[in-house]
Amino acid sequence: MVLRKSPQTLKEMVDASQRAYDETGCYAGIMDLEAKESDPLKYELFHSRILSSLISGRETTRMISASPFVREVAELCIGIYTPEGDNIAQSTGIQVHIATMGEVIKWMINNEYETKVGIADGDLFCSNDNSIAGLHPADVYDILPIFWKDELVAWVCTVIMEIDIGSVNPPCMAVPNVERATDGIRICAEKIGSRDEIRRDFEIRIERTIGMYQTFLLDRKGAVAANIRVREETKNLIGEFGLDYFRQTTRELIEDERRTQLARIKQRMVPGRYRNVTAVELYLKDQPVSWLPGKVDTVRLMPVEMTVEPSGTLSIDFDGTGEWGWHSMNATESGVRGGLSIGLVQSMCYDGRANLGSLLPCQLNVPIDTVLNPSRVLELPTANIWTSTIQVFNHWLTLIGSAFYLRGYREEVFGFRTSFGFQASGYNQHGMKGAFLPVAIAGYIGGCARGVADGVDMGAAYYTPEPDIGNFEVWEMFFPNLDLYRRIDPFSVGHGRFRSGASMNGIWTPHLSQFLMVSSAMGGGAVRLLDNTALFGGYPSGRGCTMSLSQTNIKETVEAGNPLVLDIGHPAHLEFPKHVEGQLTVHDKIVIPAEVHEGDLLITITPSGSGLGDPLDRRPESVLPDLENGFTTEEITRSIYGIEVEFNEPTEKWEIDEMTTTINREDKRKQRLARGVPMRQWWGNARQRIMEKEIDPLLKDMYQSSMKMSANYTQEYRDFWALPDEFVF
Amino acid sequence: MSYSKEDLRDLYNGTLPWGQVKEIMSNPKDDDRFDKYIEILQESVLWEERILMPLGEHIFVVEKDGERITKCDCGHEFGDWRQNWKLNALIYVRDDRVKLEEIYPGIRCPDPDICEVREYYCPGCGALLKVESVPVGHPPLFEILPDIDVFYREWLGTPLKHEKEFKDRTYEVTREWGKET
Repeated sequence: MVLRKSPQTLKEMVDASQRAYDETGCYAGIMDLEAKESDPLKYELFHSRILSSLISGRETTRMISASPFVREVAELCIGIYTPEGDNIAQSTGIQVHIATMGEVIKWMINNEYETKVGIADGDLFCSNDNSIAGLHPADVYDILPIFWKDELVAWVCTVIMEIDIGSVNPPCMAVPNVERATDGIRICAEKIGSRDEIRRDFEIRIERTIGMYQTFLLDRKGAVAANIRVREETKNLIGEFGLDYFRQTTRELIEDERRTQLARIKQRMVPGRYRNVTAVELYLKDQPVSWLPGKVDTVRLMPVEMTVEPSGTLSIDFDGTGEWGWHSMNATESGVRGGLSIGLVQSMCYDGRANLGSLLPCQLNVPIDTVLNPSRVLELPTANIWTSTIQVFNHWLTLIGSAFYLRGYREEVFGFRTSFGFQASGYNQHGMKGAFLPVAIAGYIGGCARGVADGVDMGAAYYTPEPDIGNFEVWEMFFPNLDLYRRIDPFSVGHGRFRSGASMNGIWTPHLSQFLMVSSAMGGGAVRLLDNTALFGGYPSGRGCTMSLSQTNIKETVEAGNPLVLDIGHPAHLEFPKHVEGQLTVHDKIVIPAEVHEGDLLITITPSGSGLGDPLDRRPESVLPDLENGFTTEEITRSIYGIEVEFNEPTEKWEIDEMTTTINREDKRKQRLARGVPMRQWWGNARQRIMEKEIDPLLKDMYQSSMKMSANYTQEYRDFWALPDEFVF
Repeated sequence: MSYSKEDLRDLYNGTLPWGQVKEIMSNPKDDDRFDKYIEILQESVLWEERILMPLGEHIFVVEKDGERITKCDCGHEFGDWRQNWKLNALIYVRDDRVKLEEIYPGIRCPDPDICEVREYYCPGCGALLKVESVPVGHPPLFEILPDIDVFYREWLGTPLKHEKEFKDRTYEVTREWGKET
């Protein structure tokens, strides 16, 4: 069934475009920006009309969807694509998906959808299969072709993150999965409707597969409405500007952005090699699993190296990354490209012009069969692809930030850490079974220090430029919970001359649910390790974790009319257990779901980003507003920053003792010189321990896995520690 | 687009009013930034060697007697810039709960069985140059190795006199250490 009557098939167009790029180095072989150069105002008007249609489409979805993910946090995004699946422009929102949605279109084309499935005006396609392309399966793509008369001239795609996709364990980013089937529903670039209407049989499948099918289906309708709105505006544009202009200019916008991106790199960076390393962890050895090979604890190293090439292109290499495993942290090359896509939007391409052209000057090397790119992905769970992807790109941001710093554009230096919390499944307050993930926690987190200022306090999320907690009363309408506590935690901060943003912690209790179970929501991969994202003498912030207090006396306290004291307080001397009876458990992460009851306290300890620069170089006056606003404490101010402060009771103001501060800081520098040992000496001792393999078995396995995957990593490891050629762990 | 050295100095010090910082962030980038940046850095140190590139808050690649070395603003020299400067720093490793909890108290503390936090100090002034949080046994990272000649020759169009091979020379040192062990 071929409904498109163009002289070329879509597959031929994809191949021709790629050939032209390979031959010329310019997108689609566009050597001259004719539309831009002949009439720049018309060109800008054309782009702004496209962009405004995407943003208004996104707002349309927010009005239709019932999901708090969409309405409160705006976990969605819309992009428009060439017939070949190349992104032309994108709305605001979770822009991590912009490249990957285009990859789904290309996959459809390469899998002969044009002839074997049919692509017609009004057809609706849907996909959440991240082994085709995408991030985690909770992100559902709705795809609509745009026809002008009989010719397919563009595609529009909307992504929405779903609360519930019918996975086995709670809820949409299920942690303990060891098999692909347990991830929930898989929609594999499927045609789900025609003539702008979702097929009834698809709706029936959703109704009978997913607990919270209403939100899932309303989200589809919201996405389809947005896509239709963009399609109609695109047709208006073609009517006004002409089809030839549309064809030429949509492609020129990509080539224009490619050139701009190269210019940005050469203007803002310094060529050279930049390196960092991180790891992901998951502990399943002592947990029940449905597939016994998954019953292991896993730590996998993920080095990241960025080379700013003399040409101005970026080579990003993950050589040395450890192997894939039977766990939910496996990523895909497509997902890694998604991480890069949003990273570039956040760090360089924030002028509204980001599209495929932003990515073209970047080459990725994601070695096959590593945890970032398993070849057996069709057998594996990938519900937490985000865990490894966001972890590695948080660290990549330190590389790009260092390159900006070297060039003098310190105001562009920034970074993120990711959120931490609970996800749940069970019955809601209306007796309906469903899944619950309060992504409001995305808004809890403080970002890394910037190059010229402290980090953003709360509301710094990598995956969206617009993190928002939303209205908690609305969250409580959807989830059977009561939000009891949120407070800025001064102990969340990563210290430095510029500190990280501070994060908030939270406490909630189940409410009016006949049965509820929770596990951790894994935003990032580090559990027992810390992120290595601090720059130039700043400290990474401490770890995040979850805690629970069960069998509490909260019900009795409330019934007696006594106050509830729920402050978390100092991390070494927790406050709330002194006031609420119960059994406290500190979890690294709850992998396997645990049953919780009304009155239990579920506590999120949120990490923050990292600091920048030596804390002893922090301007003493900077701590005064921090003390007044609860972003630091007198204890931290003195012990970390060497700043002596005193609270003046009559004026109710903090004051700095400058003389003592100077002495304190000089003492601290002397203490460093006294306790620091020459590197040569430390190297000898550390080398001896490595030679004798005196490290944790988990780490031996981690290093061995990286060595198995990479000859280069192996050689560098042996070279640094001067180990024999045959050394293995 | 261009900014005064005074404004840029305040920007780097964190004392420029936020309104101006935001303006600098939002405006197109100023093409003379690097030149002024180097001038500001050069004016901040007491020694004479030419700064070619900053590597952090206190350390720089400088030109000295036809060679390029890493040097702290206090004057301490770390050797060839192509060798990880950490090899000539002082190191302090937080590898148990007592040491870690000085920074990360209670529930904020990472697990010292697998995680260590390394602090690198300048032997001359005690400045904290870098904090590294890595799995136990991981080699110290050589985070930044700028390709200085390509930068000056091809990107700035002002080639340097004594061009050097762009090469990581860290392992030359550690191999020597290995022979001595």
